[in-house]
Amino acid sequence: MPSDVSNPEERSSGVWKTGRGKGRSTPKGRQVDEQALGDVRALLGDLPRRRDLLIEHLHLIQDQFGCLSSAHLHALSEEMKLSQAEVYEVATFYAHFDVVRDGGIPPPMHTIRVCDSLSCELAGAQKLLDGLKIAVDPSLVRIVRAPCMGRCDNAPVCEFGHKHIDKASVEGVLTAVSSGDTHPYVPDYESFDAYRLAGGYSALLTCRNAEWTREEVQEKIQSSGLRGLGGAGFPSGRKWAFVRAEEAPRYVAVNGDEGEPGTFKDRYYLERVPHLFLEGMLIAAWAVDASRCFIYMRDEYPAVLDILRREIVALEDAGLVERGFIDLRRGAGAYICGEESAMIESIEGKRGLPRHRPPYVAQNGIFNRPTLVHNVETLYWVARICREGPEILSNVEKNGRAGLRSYSVSGRIKNPGVHVLAAGSTITDIIAEAGGMLAGHRFKAYQPGGPSSGLLPASLDDVPLDFDTLQPHGSFIGSAAVVILSDQDSMREAALNMLRFFEDESCGQCTPCRVGCEKAVKLMNSNQWDKELLEDLCEVMAQASICGLGQAAPNPIRLTIKYFPDEI
Amino acid sequence: MENEVSFIIDGKSVMACPGETIWDVAKREGNVIPSLCHKDAPGYFPDGNCRACMVEIEGERTLAASCVRSATDGMVVMTSSERAIKSRKLVIELLLADQPKRTSAHDRSSHLWQIADQQELRTSRFPKIESGRIPSADISHLAMGVNLDACIHCNLCVRACREVQVNDVIGMSGRGRDTKISFDFDDPMGASTCVACGECVQACPTGALMPATLLDEVGSGDRKSFEREVSSVCPYCGVGCQLSFKIRGKKVAWVDGADGPSNENRLCVKGRFGFDYIGHPHRLTKPLIRRIDAPAKGLNVDPGNLGTHFREASWEEALDVAAGGLSGLRKVRGGESVAGFGSAKCSNEEAYLFQKLIRQGFGHNNVDHCTRLCHASSVAALLENIGSGAVTATFNEIKNADVAIIIGANPTENHPVAATYFKQFAKRGGRLIVMDPRGQGLKRHAGHMLEFRPGTDVAMLNAIMNAIVEEELYDEQFIAEFTENWDELKTHLKEFSPEKMAPLCGVDAQTLRAVAREFATAKAGMIFWGMGISQHIHGTDNARCLISLALMCGHVGRPGTGLHPLRGQNNVQGASDAGLVPMFLPDYQSVTDDGVRSAFAKIWQSDDFSAQKGLTVVEIMDAVHAGQIQGMYVLGENPAMSDPDVGHAREALSKLEHLVVQDIFLTETANYADVILPASAWLEKTGTVTNTNRQVQMGRPVLSPPGEAREDWWIIRELAARLGLEWTYTHPREVFEEMKLTMHSLDNITWDRLEREAVTYPSLSPEDPGQAIVFGDGFPRSGGRARFTPASIVAPAETPDENYPMILTTGRQLEHWHTGSMSRRASVLDWAEPEANASLHPQTLRKLQVDPGEMITIETRRGRITIMARADRAVAPDMVFVPFAYVEAAANLLTNPQLDPYGKIPEFKFSACRVERAPSEFIVTPI
Repeated sequence: MPSDVSNPEERSSGVWKTGRGKGRSTPKGRQVDEQALGDVRALLGDLPRRRDLLIEHLHLIQDQFGCLSSAHLHALSEEMKLSQAEVYEVATFYAHFDVVRDGGIPPPMHTIRVCDSLSCELAGAQKLLDGLKIAVDPSLVRIVRAPCMGRCDNAPVCEFGHKHIDKASVEGVLTAVSSGDTHPYVPDYESFDAYRLAGGYSALLTCRNAEWTREEVQEKIQSSGLRGLGGAGFPSGRKWAFVRAEEAPRYVAVNGDEGEPGTFKDRYYLERVPHLFLEGMLIAAWAVDASRCFIYMRDEYPAVLDILRREIVALEDAGLVERGFIDLRRGAGAYICGEESAMIESIEGKRGLPRHRPPYVAQNGIFNRPTLVHNVETLYWVARICREGPEILSNVEKNGRAGLRSYSVSGRIKNPGVHVLAAGSTITDIIAEAGGMLAGHRFKAYQPGGPSSGLLPASLDDVPLDFDTLQPHGSFIGSAAVVILSDQDSMREAALNMLRFFEDESCGQCTPCRVGCEKAVKLMNSNQWDKELLEDLCEVMAQASICGLGQAAPNPIRLTIKYFPDEI
Repeated sequence: MENEVSFIIDGKSVMACPGETIWDVAKREGNVIPSLCHKDAPGYFPDGNCRACMVEIEGERTLAASCVRSATDGMVVMTSSERAIKSRKLVIELLLADQPKRTSAHDRSSHLWQIADQQELRTSRFPKIESGRIPSADISHLAMGVNLDACIHCNLCVRACREVQVNDVIGMSGRGRDTKISFDFDDPMGASTCVACGECVQACPTGALMPATLLDEVGSGDRKSFEREVSSVCPYCGVGCQLSFKIRGKKVAWVDGADGPSNENRLCVKGRFGFDYIGHPHRLTKPLIRRIDAPAKGLNVDPGNLGTHFREASWEEALDVAAGGLSGLRKVRGGESVAGFGSAKCSNEEAYLFQKLIRQGFGHNNVDHCTRLCHASSVAALLENIGSGAVTATFNEIKNADVAIIIGANPTENHPVAATYFKQFAKRGGRLIVMDPRGQGLKRHAGHMLEFRPGTDVAMLNAIMNAIVEEELYDEQFIAEFTENWDELKTHLKEFSPEKMAPLCGVDAQTLRAVAREFATAKAGMIFWGMGISQHIHGTDNARCLISLALMCGHVGRPGTGLHPLRGQNNVQGASDAGLVPMFLPDYQSVTDDGVRSAFAKIWQSDDFSAQKGLTVVEIMDAVHAGQIQGMYVLGENPAMSDPDVGHAREALSKLEHLVVQDIFLTETANYADVILPASAWLEKTGTVTNTNRQVQMGRPVLSPPGEAREDWWIIRELAARLGLEWTYTHPREVFEEMKLTMHSLDNITWDRLEREAVTYPSLSPEDPGQAIVFGDGFPRSGGRARFTPASIVAPAETPDENYPMILTTGRQLEHWHTGSMSRRASVLDWAEPEANASLHPQTLRKLQVDPGEMITIETRRGRITIMARADRAVAPDMVFVPFAYVEAAANLLTNPQLDPYGKIPEFKFSACRVERAPSEFIVTPI
């Protein structure tokens, strides 16, 4: 018979405790909710719990439940053996994840994202946004601002669920909402069978059958003069040699995060001829003997994601690639992931923070392995060069420049869209090709290559818009996202639009960009710009930021001060 | 050096190692480039995010962050070009724009303000951020103030938490300017999984994270506001962290980690925030003598009101009474009637003096300490099979391992700083194999987590060894060269196939084989264990299995290999080394060896003492019950809490005719004392300690003892004098000198050297920092060979049955130390864990119809306690875990005193118990 010693002890004076407070009824911190754990396990099924799939898994939960509740996030962290912090910081980095903390209110069932980038703003995005906020019931539909959706030729644009609404009006959007259809519209495109019938993938097979050597193919690419069309313009063939020189395993990563506002050329090709891109990618993968291809596709392009999912399966079914060789990853709403090292971080399932260079991604990319990173359009041209010969680019000459450029043209012109012109084209040529200025608008300025390139005056109308030609003017061609502005537009407002975008999209890693963009917007909001202080700010941002975002973000400020001094 | 690079920095040609950063080279050249996000300390990697350290590199369009940029051949670097200086200054100006005013700064001496001073920046021209975007203060944690209005997003706290301590609580949430330091899911720090190691506070360059003791009521503070600092060693666990105490007035204002060999600046919650116990009002400040009219002996003294039982006395009187009682017993009943418990909390010198006092003063070996309750069985097995009771490699050696087994240890709670190295190891890709019946903090980092059935250690380990033998994965050459008895073990193991053992231990055969392969085929493997191994009646067998496992794989004696029982108390290694055990004199020299004894008798200038091995802790209590022992001298031990079946131990204490207790508080044991001698806390004394790594380190007085409290060595000496021993020590260094005469482990280690540096024993020369790894060239046994001792399955002494269907296991919790006398009086530790608690699986609680937080009773054949239930998924559904630090529900009222036959350690880890919802009178509504 046990002696009941505890009872008297509770009252004994020899038993001392401070008596301050009550102990926790659980271990420290939030406890895993069994129900949520069940949800997450069911949703993930047999999928691997690898860290690099974190963003993919977050998408699964977001898609299923419309948000990421603390309970689900915690269950996911438990399931993936990650800490809560690691999951939370990734979930809160990307704009397309709606994190709802304990007790928080989940967002309404539907979301309308209204694009507020330059072309859409010129086309009345603010009015659309204001109108929608009045017109829809906020308990049913949430209206949020969003960056460029790559449909600037149909500005203003918004997205209801995953359905894009081009040339949107309040009425048009309300009709779409009442229909309840949130699925993307997938345009007709060249299918695998059609492409194959037309001789597609023969170039790839020629490579694989060793009829061409890697050196030969690389020589073709180099002689075509093809340069990286994501914006950096690095000679494409040379990259291959660098990556191939490193030890295996090597990877290919396709940068499909076409986020530079005003750019929509990649989407243009992917929604029409996806297999030219895919063949180009597989040729590049062959060229560097890659063991896997990652395609990082922006979440703003749901139709493209749909097409790629389907066509990758077709490739696998046809035996052209092993299952799993092509790993399609879905972005989650972060411009910075268009920066190649940030994209790699994101592919690894992390926040999209750019890495320091050196080491370069060619040596140290995905999972710290050598990685060949290409833009979508670049690979499209790789396939065409292999199929049609390097002359398709090298034979085109204009104003002393060689090659072709896919200009994404929008703004105050009659025929916005992707216009493929000689790379030596001037803004005058582009406006002409795009049908001239809209009625009642006089050409005043242009953005040659996204907000990172700033604004140039109409007077600079004789400069070929190609790599290297705009640097003397304090700008660059980048992704060739051309936006035309007119005498009815405020340059100051346009520059502010650009800096607001950078403030929204700065990853926050380095001081000059994180704090600089925020301070720039404040300084630019003032009636009179403090030019000296802004110039100091521009200098530290350009000189000391880690990546291109912060380094180029001052361009709109500096160019506005330089070319449009009377507006500030 | 090969591949060295040559480059030019500020016009000077310099050399650098490959990968060395510009910042490091510049620093070596005497040019410390300003930086905020870079912490030039072990464990921290440069991150390059603050951009305060930009330099110009010839030919590059933009500036480069010197902290992350490696020097390359031919590079031309200008650290002080106009461009670089301007950008660096602008970065600081940008950051200052959003800082709180310096006059009200959280840390007026922050690193950020120092850099601003260097650049002569007082204010910023940039507009301030909108007030709505500034995070509000978080005062949810008692130990740390979180004021993110001062945060500069340098990420150091994230790296501190993630990369250095690997606690993974802090993250950087959100994006851009609104990026925010967040705990878990942006929870208040105090409600998060934060374990309060304080690494973030130590790393923060702005005061956004500060020790709460440094902040006034409006959140202002100054990290330079201390009067002096003292370097010493932590008094809590066996890791032996070095720390720097910052003193203001007569108090420890706060503590920073120091760069000791075992901790490299890291600390845990106890070592950083657990020191205000020394100023607790319960401190004993005057010698006390039991009043003639005191109530009968029992656990009945209020530590805040001792006058009911004790009267204050002068040292003279108290010492006379204390010694008089003991010498009286010696005279009347013989020396055997008096026994002693020393302490693993005191210094090496004090441990030595204590055992000397018992042996020399009473002529026998009935002296022991808490090692008996922790690793006695491990030591028995180690001595038996490899000839030495200490670790064969430091725990830091894990950095050179590629696989490590952690079994029966919960280092994230009990050896938190050692755990940081284990977690880092896993993070770097090392394979961590965790074996524990309880899910625990390392589980998330483990490649394999074997949650085996409690008490089936031998079955599981034999099965793993069986697989190694069967698949011939053992290290034949090592076995041939360095071991004996291999064939016997091999034959013995035949019976233990993984398939046969799997149902017994609850781990499938496939996993057992996978673990066997992984460990055996590793280039370098280590084994760490704790009391989950030792505190069983088969504790010695458990340890024998681990030793055999390491030996057969050749995982001893090389970098990244070794056997490491994680020692519990700060000086349990040192106290054992110093002979504070009944069977050994200092350095494990047997008391049964006449030569050994005569050597000691000669140095001690005394008569021979008993050649008989003395009684151990639990045996001494039994001898009290049996009437053989009537007097005890207990220094810093608390058997009234720490002994198994503690009701029985308390009864024994109450039976003693004369009990002298020497401690800093009125412990549960002191309740039964006749004389209480007020001692000094570790922070108030001088002496050396030896940690789990065999590292001998110097403890220094940080503050003076309160009132008339004295250092333990002084008290022992005074008692010795009154017991007729002519000791002349005037300082611990003289004791240390005497110890060196008989302890070869201390060769080349001198007091003066320890004043300068920590030394690992064995140290081969006065310059040798000591051998982190031992036995590379054989073992200290005959023929230099280690031995394989086969172990058979022994069932726990008490198995669950109908009446007692569940399994009770006991242990510790992060915040509370041992029996709680110190930690429960430390405000932060008490805040974190204020109440006794028992962890059970939520399913089990549901079955019992008990809500988490409600009271339950736990009953064994020995006793019953009433305790708050904590729901914890880590505990198996048929188990209960109870920490033993809480007197209001003392776990040891329940534990089984059955002993391991070799190590004489009780089976704390396994008792059959019954759990029920507590009767309603215990259902207290929370205040």
